[in-house]
Amino acid sequence: MRDGNAGADAALRILVVEDEVLIALELECLLDDLGHVTVGIAGSSAEAIALGRSAEPDVAFVDIHLVDGPTGVEVARALASDPRITVVFMTANAKRIPDDFAGAIGVIAKPYSERVVASILDWVADRRAGRVPTHSAPDGFSFAPAL
Amino acid sequence: MLVDAFARSLSPMVITDARAPDNPITWVNDAFLGLTGFATDELLGRNCRMLQGPGTDPAEVARIHAAIEAGEPVTAELLNYRKDGTPYWSAMTVTPVHDEAGLAYFYAAQADMTHTREREVTMRVTNDELERLVAARTHDLSAALEQKTALLHEVDHRVKNNLQVISSLMLLKARRTPEGEARDALQGMAERIGALSTAHRMLYSEGDCTHFNLGDFASEFLSDVNAGLDHEKQRVEAEVEPIAVAAAMAAPLALLIHELTANALRHAFPNAREGRVSITARRTQSGMQLTIRDDGVGLAAAPPNPAGFGRNLVEMVVRQLRGTIAWADAGPGTYVAIDIPLLSPT
Repeated sequence: MRDGNAGADAALRILVVEDEVLIALELECLLDDLGHVTVGIAGSSAEAIALGRSAEPDVAFVDIHLVDGPTGVEVARALASDPRITVVFMTANAKRIPDDFAGAIGVIAKPYSERVVASILDWVADRRAGRVPTHSAPDGFSFAPAL
Repeated sequence: MLVDAFARSLSPMVITDARAPDNPITWVNDAFLGLTGFATDELLGRNCRMLQGPGTDPAEVARIHAAIEAGEPVTAELLNYRKDGTPYWSAMTVTPVHDEAGLAYFYAAQADMTHTREREVTMRVTNDELERLVAARTHDLSAALEQKTALLHEVDHRVKNNLQVISSLMLLKARRTPEGEARDALQGMAERIGALSTAHRMLYSEGDCTHFNLGDFASEFLSDVNAGLDHEKQRVEAEVEPIAVAAAMAAPLALLIHELTANALRHAFPNAREGRVSITARRTQSGMQLTIRDDGVGLAAAPPNPAGFGRNLVEMVVRQLRGTIAWADAGPGTYVAIDIPLLSPT
């Protein structure tokens, strides 16, 4: 996207946990435009957790509803237990997210705009690089209360 | 004369001898005989406890006994038994009667409270039954409400997810379409869906899903539009009052604002001309006025647009909102003013 500022240093490895194939595919294209790398797409909780271990993602976008039910919360918890992975919920079902956000840093509400995805990734890239993130939370994104 | 009046009284009365051992009955009236079913000679010389039975409350008996021992008047209600064994509720007042030598008699007047008691019991049963029915109904209603709320969340979730799928579909197809008219059309559609999605998300993220805050929408819409612009050259600004409109107006208004802004950006600044688009919305006496102004080339200078879908769409939506629209050359640029009636001031 036009204002994606992911340079070579900021390219993130991203795991997409999404059971809706079209959404996952589009998101992959968008991430590619933004200069990031999609390291895997998982439609079920088992796949997601396995890819979380094998694909070494920096960031995981996690939907709540997966092929095997509303298992996104436990996926988030499992992925977030690895300190190298930043978990972001991406769902139309934010009411299902527990109070502690299961270790995720926040939630992108569906339907999302490309701008929100871009700015969250900028924020995450800044933080991972040890910079103070310059971006405040865009509309359509809510940070976990712990942050 | 007084004794005669007591003897004829319809209130059952009894007198006991306080000085004789075990406080025996010495006088009863006809009403008392009628109530208890005993004959006079069956009662005289005996203690009143002969009327008590298995249902008589011992605590109440003890209370009466204590008052009698102390020589004090007492009021009590006791389940007593007739000669034939049937119970009746007796409300009584027992009064000590003194003569020169001290306590001489106890005088007790009674009333048959059986019917009152029965009514109370019936009322209690009826009340209990009503309360049970109300509780059952409340439970059913709560369960139904819970079910409907869950259904609402489910539908909301599906609508949002489907909007995302539709948007993804359009964008995927656009990516696979060579640059040109078709691709622009697909991207334009995806943007329209994006504007509708924003409106839908804002409508259902707040507790109040009957109103839509135009100001909130405008600020989010602005961020989305500006994210896609070259900031050096073009900019969209908005000054939108936080007007609460009916939920039904959310989608048409979102489309309207999107269409006019996109139209201005598409036509007002040819050849990377610099400029800005400003959106305003304010309350008026009868509703609201929405204006979109750009400082671009103006209506007359813009190349003729035979399809003119954007403008058509705008006019259709304005008609749907029962509003009026005026297009004008603002020199420089184009000025569009839309007046929309609002039903009730909110």
